[in-house]
Amino acid sequence: MNTLIRNRFGTDEIEVKRDDLSKVTVVKYRVFELIHLLVEQYGYTTLNAITCADWIEEGHFAITYMLTTRARRHTFMVQTMIGREEAKIDSLTMLFPQAEIMERDLHEMYGIDFPGNGNLVELSLENWVHTPPLRREFDTLAFVNELHDFREGRDDNLDVKAEMKRLRALKKAAKEAAAKKEALKTEEKEEASQPSAAQKESGHGK
Amino acid sequence: MANRHITIFHGPQHPGITGNMSIELDLLGETILKATTHVGYLHRGFEKLIERRTVIQAFTIVCRICVPEPDPNEVNFAMAVEELAGIEVSQRAKYIRVMMLELSRLAAQFLWMAGQSGSIGLYAVGQWAIADRDLILDLFEELTGGRVYHMYVYPGGVRRDLPEGFLGRVEKVLEHLKTRLKLYDDIFIYNASFRQRAEGVGVIDAEEAVKNGYVGQVLRACGIEADVRKDAPYLVYDELEFDIPTEQAGDVYARALVRRAEMDQSIRILEQVIEKMPEGEIMAKLPTHRKFKLPKDDTWVKVESARGEFAYYMAGDGSENIRRMQVRGPSLVHAYTLLENLLVGAELSDVALIMNSLGICPPEIER
Amino acid sequence: MEEGFLIQQRQMESDLSSDTSHKSSVDFLMNWFRKRSIFVLAYGTGCGAIEMPPTFTSRYDAERLGIRGAATPRQADVIIVSGYCSYKTLRRIIRTYEQMANPKYVLALGSCTVNGGMYWDSYNTIKKLEDYIPVDMYVSGCMPRPESILEGFLALQKEIAEGKASSWQRYEENYEFYRKNQEKVLGRNVAPAYDADWYLYDGGL
Repeated sequence: MNTLIRNRFGTDEIEVKRDDLSKVTVVKYRVFELIHLLVEQYGYTTLNAITCADWIEEGHFAITYMLTTRARRHTFMVQTMIGREEAKIDSLTMLFPQAEIMERDLHEMYGIDFPGNGNLVELSLENWVHTPPLRREFDTLAFVNELHDFREGRDDNLDVKAEMKRLRALKKAAKEAAAKKEALKTEEKEEASQPSAAQKESGHGK
Repeated sequence: MANRHITIFHGPQHPGITGNMSIELDLLGETILKATTHVGYLHRGFEKLIERRTVIQAFTIVCRICVPEPDPNEVNFAMAVEELAGIEVSQRAKYIRVMMLELSRLAAQFLWMAGQSGSIGLYAVGQWAIADRDLILDLFEELTGGRVYHMYVYPGGVRRDLPEGFLGRVEKVLEHLKTRLKLYDDIFIYNASFRQRAEGVGVIDAEEAVKNGYVGQVLRACGIEADVRKDAPYLVYDELEFDIPTEQAGDVYARALVRRAEMDQSIRILEQVIEKMPEGEIMAKLPTHRKFKLPKDDTWVKVESARGEFAYYMAGDGSENIRRMQVRGPSLVHAYTLLENLLVGAELSDVALIMNSLGICPPEIER
Repeated sequence: MEEGFLIQQRQMESDLSSDTSHKSSVDFLMNWFRKRSIFVLAYGTGCGAIEMPPTFTSRYDAERLGIRGAATPRQADVIIVSGYCSYKTLRRIIRTYEQMANPKYVLALGSCTVNGGMYWDSYNTIKKLEDYIPVDMYVSGCMPRPESILEGFLALQKEIAEGKASSWQRYEENYEFYRKNQEKVLGRNVAPAYDADWYLYDGGL
């Protein structure tokens, strides 16, 4: 099966991750052909999930369809890349009714359009007018700091990094002081033994 | 006066829903014409938070994705990171993880019993079930320090070894629960009034269930032996002996019988784990515990939770942070595709009954 | 070895027998009635709702303190905000809170209501509950144990007995402040827009 898929769709080697998981990457306009092939000829009857990962450095989203066989022994990950601007891919709702809710979730979180899915309304957010939140360019900390202000910390609240630096410096200074003391002590001991030597010498010299 | 067509919210503030979600119902008298599910009341943006955190920071918040049963989340997260980073887990850690998962499954089934009996008005069972579940939570507290959120399963093993005599205490709790489960059979599972309420309600077709991606007890009550522990075994489930109970009817009563039989199987697995627990290390030797280097790769891992197949998609990008972690809980398809079709034609008083039998848990739908 | 709830019992008996700060005997009696029968609204708004069934059922038994559940806001005295609030939930909490009858109290559980908790950088949760509705008692923890929740209720009962629990008055007096904060995160339309068409146009009730 793997060689047939590779020859027919011109993909790279099918990646076998575990003995129950394989992955293939195809171009966007041949994804549905591959999914139909898997469903009709090889018995991958169930669509488990549609996932999306944002690769902003490479300028694409990686959409993956997880298909499982009827006996649930093997899962096939069918991955395709779509552009980040004008992100659009056809909907799978005709084939699998559960794709409607999965695509609705991705539409809300990434702003991907799925023509053919009639129910692309908001799912988890309410009256959201900013960038779709799971895109990498949406900075959640900046958003939070603009809208809320946090409580003041306790009076004895210390900054962790500064405090660790201070403690390390203290420890270092204490170690150096101890080392200096040790050095002084050995010097004193040597001096203490030295005068006796000097005395001996002077004694001898006398 | 004829029946009127009204729209109500079986809403977020309601004693008859499982969790914080709402269903907008179009009613004609007491019969439902159309149901629309609304979730999002518990949306915290987990997937965005985890992208900002390293593995050790993310592992502390991952267990809060599913509130009634947090352990499958921790095990999934650990398994995904281990697969990406190529870490081997010792046998003892695997057995301890199986013990945590099965105890968590038992606790979740007790919680289900409390919810299902509350939906038909049999509140005594709820009082018993929550108190019996508390004994399991005491065990968790002794082992991990927390009753509900454990943060115990870490990529590479588990965090702390079993205390002295812990396995003996687990055995005592299991003995106690076995005697208690007989009482639940009499008062709840084989109760004539529960049977009358539940038989023939919420019937699901087997063929459609397989195609639409329903998981868990929904499939098992239609006669299909579906369980991730047998289909794609993970941890040490291929060394343990247990059965997958099934029923044929596909209605609420069949799902209740399946759940009750699964509790017996969980106790059976736990007894085997206690007997077979090997000695050894509990944590793999990692070069440094705080930094994991995840390669530019992705994976799909799944475990069987008390409500069905729980799966994670995780992608790394060669740095210390996790690029993407997407959660596919069992309730995503059950709450939308299944519930909206199942409620058409049902009575208003059956909404709570059906929701409890499907095991819909909103925090994992909208994370 | 004593378990937590037995210590609770002793604490309760000692606390309730020693409060002497009351203005008049009518006030004392009213406060005594109010604190001895607290009805909690059945609304699990967040994570902490998983520790509420153990508190209200037979093991930790909050009913011996007079606390039991109520189904609708009109019948409830206390709303427990159990953990984080997303903006969608906050809208419903405000609407529910405004429907409750005075005197009403708010018990906030968990560290997410204090300063955002572990969702401090989340784009969809609020950070300080005190900005949006007035809070009487915070119970810290993540999440609080049933014994902690009972201690929170005891402390609330003590405050009711002394007449200090007056968050509903604070809400009425400082309504502009609360409304401004609510509008800042929720937009001008703070309450959800439920259409009342059927009530008005379908022949009425």
